[in-house]
Amino acid sequence: MTTTIGLEIHVQLATRTKMFCGCSTTFGDEPNTHVCPVCLGLPGALPTLNAEAVHLAITLAMALGCEVHEVSEFSRKNYFYPDLPKSYQITQFDRPIATVGSVPIVTERGARSIRLTRAHIEEDAGKSMHVADITLGGETLVDFNRCGMPLIEIVTEPDMQSGDEAYEFLRNLRRLVRWLGVSSGDMEKGAMRCDVNVSVSPDPALRGTKVEIKNLNSFRSVKRAIDYEEQRQAQCLGGGTSIVSETRHFDEVQGTTTVMRSKEASNDYRYFPEPDLPLLQLDSTELESLRAQMPELPWEMQSRFERDLGLSPYDAALLTEERSTAEFFQQTIALYNNPKKAASYMGTEVARLLNERGKTLSETQLTPAALAGLLTMVENNTISNTASKDVLPLLVDTGVTPAEAVKNLGLEQVSDASAIKDYACEVIAENATQVEQFKSGKEAVLGFLVGQLMKKSKGKANPKLAGEVLRTLLKS
Amino acid sequence: MSSKLPHTLEQYRHAVHAHELSAEEYLDETRQCIEHGDPQVRAFLHLRLDAARSDAQATNPLSPLAGAPIAIKDNIMVAGERCTCGSQILEHYVAPYSATAVVSLLAAGAVIPGKTNCDEFAMGSSTENSAFFPTHNPADLTRVPGGSSGGSAAAVAAGFALGAIGSDTGGSVRQPAAFCGVVGFKPTYGLVSRYGLVAFGSSLDCIGPITRTVRDAAIMMNIMAVHDPKDATSVKRPHVDFEATLQPTLTGKRVGIIRELQRLDVQPEIAAAMEAARKAAVRSGASIVDVSLPHILSALPVYYIIAPAECSANLGRFDGVRYGLHVDGRNMTETYSRTRNAGFGTEVKRRILIGAFVLSAGYYDAYYKKATSVRQLITDELEQALQSADVLLTPTTPTTAFRIGAVTDPLEMYKADVFTIPADLAGVPAISFPAGKDAAGLPIGLQLMGPRWSDADVLSSANVIFTALGGES
Amino acid sequence: MAMIIDKETLEHVALLARLEITPDEEGSLLGDIERILGYVAQLSSVDTSATISKRPAMAELRPDEPCEGLTREEGLGGAPAMRDGFVIVRNVMGAEDE
Ligand SMILES: [Mg+2]
Ligand SMILES: [Zn+2]
Repeated sequence: MTTTIGLEIHVQLATRTKMFCGCSTTFGDEPNTHVCPVCLGLPGALPTLNAEAVHLAITLAMALGCEVHEVSEFSRKNYFYPDLPKSYQITQFDRPIATVGSVPIVTERGARSIRLTRAHIEEDAGKSMHVADITLGGETLVDFNRCGMPLIEIVTEPDMQSGDEAYEFLRNLRRLVRWLGVSSGDMEKGAMRCDVNVSVSPDPALRGTKVEIKNLNSFRSVKRAIDYEEQRQAQCLGGGTSIVSETRHFDEVQGTTTVMRSKEASNDYRYFPEPDLPLLQLDSTELESLRAQMPELPWEMQSRFERDLGLSPYDAALLTEERSTAEFFQQTIALYNNPKKAASYMGTEVARLLNERGKTLSETQLTPAALAGLLTMVENNTISNTASKDVLPLLVDTGVTPAEAVKNLGLEQVSDASAIKDYACEVIAENATQVEQFKSGKEAVLGFLVGQLMKKSKGKANPKLAGEVLRTLLKS
Repeated sequence: MSSKLPHTLEQYRHAVHAHELSAEEYLDETRQCIEHGDPQVRAFLHLRLDAARSDAQATNPLSPLAGAPIAIKDNIMVAGERCTCGSQILEHYVAPYSATAVVSLLAAGAVIPGKTNCDEFAMGSSTENSAFFPTHNPADLTRVPGGSSGGSAAAVAAGFALGAIGSDTGGSVRQPAAFCGVVGFKPTYGLVSRYGLVAFGSSLDCIGPITRTVRDAAIMMNIMAVHDPKDATSVKRPHVDFEATLQPTLTGKRVGIIRELQRLDVQPEIAAAMEAARKAAVRSGASIVDVSLPHILSALPVYYIIAPAECSANLGRFDGVRYGLHVDGRNMTETYSRTRNAGFGTEVKRRILIGAFVLSAGYYDAYYKKATSVRQLITDELEQALQSADVLLTPTTPTTAFRIGAVTDPLEMYKADVFTIPADLAGVPAISFPAGKDAAGLPIGLQLMGPRWSDADVLSSANVIFTALGGES
Repeated sequence: MAMIIDKETLEHVALLARLEITPDEEGSLLGDIERILGYVAQLSSVDTSATISKRPAMAELRPDEPCEGLTREEGLGGAPAMRDGFVIVRNVMGAEDE
């Protein structure tokens, strides 16, 4: 059986105001408090296009490798629904702002590129909450705060073959939109929503019947729904039942999909060009300058980190998850020229601390200069690696310089051979058994003795030097 | 109304500015006139004379309109006032905001005596399609005032207001102006903001003034022709003083006569008025040129595809969920259709159905798409004809005002707009001005059209011919 | 002349437009619409092969600055049913409604 998957993703653009009116896009306020004649579809109101929404859409489309069209057109998509006040959605149909493009993904099956069909801008509908109440026959609560939110809809080619691939695609797309600042990508707040088309066919050369799945509220739900649907369709086909072209609803609790409606009964949307909005014409020089300002993309940076800096795939992925982290890392290695060490320190010690604090890097006092300074002190044996773990919290919480922190904590490493010799003599005197073992050829015991010495010095002794001094004394 | 009282905006403004008249005095006269005449004419759907009087007291007598009463068609929003669009579905709807054109008029010192009757959602040519009552033509109460801005045209003709605004989608300002013997001007599409005008055919709709003289139309255009960032189709243009640019003659102007329209059957007195206007134009210094617009007669079928298509989407918002009439059903589909069925009249339903049909799968290309192509063709031809002529002269209507109830066939009614529709399709300015009367004493209107953004020129040329035919300058 | 629109198509279009056609309207409505569509169908004979669409472009876009809208009362005061700030409608989960 071959599975074919295509996605339609709605990404909410991070503007201050809605797509066609000046209402605020703030999330989570009292229902129906961000409304005006335009987004409520009051008679006589007209739409005006948000310049920033267009700007963000172009930025994303360019990053997706799309062809951005100098001229695009808005259309009306007509259907009746209580959360659609005008009875039409302003969207793009015949002439979208962008077509073709691709997103690279890496799964267990290797690196692949998922092609995009198109990207177009449109307005969101309001939010409906369905309340089932037997006595009332059920009712729907409508909030128009979301109505008119600016969206970019991205449509992929049916290029994915598993739930894992779809999951990876979405993860990567989310990383990109956050990287570019075009969207929060927050699925819980509805800033990213996804509909899935799945078809299963026994013949790899033939495409099966397409089934659409809606109500997918997380990336994990997307994967679960696909996995379930793959199995359901395969079972149908195996049992000689043919697949019906329909829209199915994913049940989060059961992990199953159920029929919402069959495609035959679907609407005839009667698209036609939106007469209230003349064509959207983009300035070619502005497009060029946007293209020139395009930052290095997360997947580009990730492979550069692996290729040029020799980072592990794990570290490279971790550091390019957020643009602020990647930039922090780059600034750090500009001051401390050991990328692998910096990456691994960020991936372990720094990450652990952030996790404990429940903060992101930018929410702490830690600066690239401070981290580079700390790593340099370890490298120069000014402090031990162990001691650095005591210093780091100060850098993160208070913003003092590493030198100040080390001084405050009294953690300068002791590299003075005579001071270490004193400790070594005490250790030899107190551990007769181990000294005997060493002398009888059990070299490994040296580690224990170094440990004892470190303890005595409260971790300040240079461990390498400690080992050397102990060895010299024991062999003498 | 006493003959000493001003009966044009210009005279009124002069009298108030010269302290010979106060806005309150004039409004009191207007009230008497309305109370006496409107029970027969029925131009207004709602009056607000008390509010208008206090507004008049508060206006600056030196403001451009100095408290002049201007009536507003009831498909244009005035904050706090009902806005029914002549429809049951909005019978109790109160506008929460004002249209930009209304804001401009109020800022210029206009006061609003009331909202005028119209065909439901501006769909009609007689004001008989109002859900509430028909308006009567002040020139002959047994006749229609034309439509859809019939209430506005009748109000101005009857002296209930010094000026009015209407909306013109297929001739709805010019045709009633012609029937009532007043001036109706449809500006270039994009010159006056549509924000706050309840949309019918969005790519066609224009707000325009209805006045007693061409000069008054220019005075109102000076106030309403403002770029509006709230309307993406409103165009930013250099400022033009439409009144100051009125010229005394037509010297050097070429007045075009459209060959294809000459072949149409029009009432003989209207043909005679055309002849008189042509001669007046020549006497005023114009030359007459013959122009050809091979596809102009396709304008009517184009219009009756595009306007219904757009209206079918525009009127979807009247669904009983957020405002307006609501009739409950067992589920939403039933609630929607019961609400809309109870709320819309026959003509509106007919056009919504035609519109939904011409946009639906399988018919879109043959109807809607074809119509937009022919619309472009007509626009191109008109643009070309307006290279060899500065303005085009046509009748406004094939006949003078018909009797109430006389035209029942919708297709026959549509044909009343044959001369006015081309300007709407092409988005060019067009004016109807009074040009005499027929044997029954009914007003005749003639139309001038010009290229896009030649509004000042169209007003000026119309003013010359209008005054040459005996109209007041 | 062949029928342009039959009863079934009219009913389908009426459903799309959420209009109810009562039995007593059906005959005249269908007849009028049929005649109007027959009249506008004359456009099929117009040659538009050389015509190029010249829709204008937007001159300026709106800056992304919040501006004052309506209060809930101003915007939705006329709604037939409201509760806790929400507009209430009949349950629309039914298949025919989507
Ligand atoms: Mg969409
Ligand atoms: Zn809004």
